[in-house]
Amino acid sequence: MALPNQQTVDYPSFKLVIVGDGGTGKTTFVKRHLTGEFEKKYEPTIGVEVHPLDFFTNCGKIRFYCWDTAGQEKFGGLRDGYYIHGQCAIIMFDVTSRLTYKNVPTWHRDLCRVCENIPIVLCGNKVDVKNRQVKAKQVTFHRKKNLQYYEVSAKSNYNFEKPFLYLARKLAGDGNLHFVETPALAPPDVTIDLAAQQQHEAELAAAAAQPLPDDDDDLIE
Amino acid sequence: MDADAVAKAFVEHYYRTFDTNRPALVSLYQDGSMLTFEGQQFLGAAAIAGKLGSLPFAQCHHDINTVDCQPSGPQGGMLVFVSGSLRTGPDEHPLKFSQMFQLLPAGGNFYVQNDMFRLNYG
Repeated sequence: MALPNQQTVDYPSFKLVIVGDGGTGKTTFVKRHLTGEFEKKYEPTIGVEVHPLDFFTNCGKIRFYCWDTAGQEKFGGLRDGYYIHGQCAIIMFDVTSRLTYKNVPTWHRDLCRVCENIPIVLCGNKVDVKNRQVKAKQVTFHRKKNLQYYEVSAKSNYNFEKPFLYLARKLAGDGNLHFVETPALAPPDVTIDLAAQQQHEAELAAAAAQPLPDDDDDLIE
Repeated sequence: MDADAVAKAFVEHYYRTFDTNRPALVSLYQDGSMLTFEGQQFLGAAAIAGKLGSLPFAQCHHDINTVDCQPSGPQGGMLVFVSGSLRTGPDEHPLKFSQMFQLLPAGGNFYVQNDMFRLNYG
C-alpha cells in the first residue's frame, strides 16, 4: 500500500511492514535498495517512511511498499495503523544483542493481532559482526511459528534479496518464482567473513534437524 | 510567582533534565507517583526512573510548542499539559508528543504526582 502522495504502479504491489526493536538495522536494511531510497516518502501524521522496492522476477516486476517507522518503537509498541492492511512482514533482530531476539515474540504477537496469516520472515541482522550474542543454532522461534529465517547483514548486503524472494514466492503462490535481475544496491560498507558465515548456516541447518527445545519457553512472556 | 510561570519553569526544567541528565529526573517523583508511558503504567519514583532510564536512545532533544496550566484541587496542585516534538538523533524525523503532569506541593516545592506521555501519530 502506497501513501496517498506516492506513485502507484500497474504491476503487483504489496504492503510490507518491518518491525523489531530500535537499533536492529531496519532502516539501514531498506535503504540498501537504491531506487527505493530515491522514491521513498515520509508521512509525518503516521510517522512512517514508505520505501517502494521493486524486484524483477521471471513472472514480471513486483513491488514491496516497505513501511519503516520513524523510531516510535523505541518508546513502546506501534499503533495498529502501522500494521493495518499489511500483506507481508519482516521481523528484525540484531544477532549482537540478545534482548532484541528476546523481544521477537512480542513483535510477532503485535503483528499477528492485526495481520492474520500473512507471510513473515524473521531476519537476524549484523551477522558481519565478529562478537555474536545470538548464535545461529539458538534461533528457534521461527520454527515454532512457521516463519522463514534468514541471517542477513545490511551493511554488507549479505542475503539482502532472500527475505524478498521468500515473500514474493508466498504472495505469488509460486515456489519456483525467481529473480531474473539484481536490483541496484548501495555498495557494501563492510565485508563479511564468508567462511565463518557458511559455518553458521551449516549450524542452522543442523539445528533445524533437531527437535525443538521446550526449555526456552521463557522467550514467550 | 503565578501558576503559569511555575508551570513554564517546571516544563523547562523537566525537558532540560530529560535531554541532558535523565537519571536526575528521579528526584521529581515520589513513591506514590505514577507514570503512564505509551500506555504502560509505572508506580513509584524508582519504577518511573527505571523506565525513563531504559529508553534505548542516548540522545534526545525536546522542542516545546505549547504549555497549558490549571490550578487543581484544594491542596494547591497544578495540572500541566504540554505538546511538542522530539528527536532521538540528528538524522531522525521529529516525533510529535503530548504529556500531562499533575504537580502537587510538598515542602514549598512541587513534585510530579501523575505523568502521562504519548507520541502523537497514526
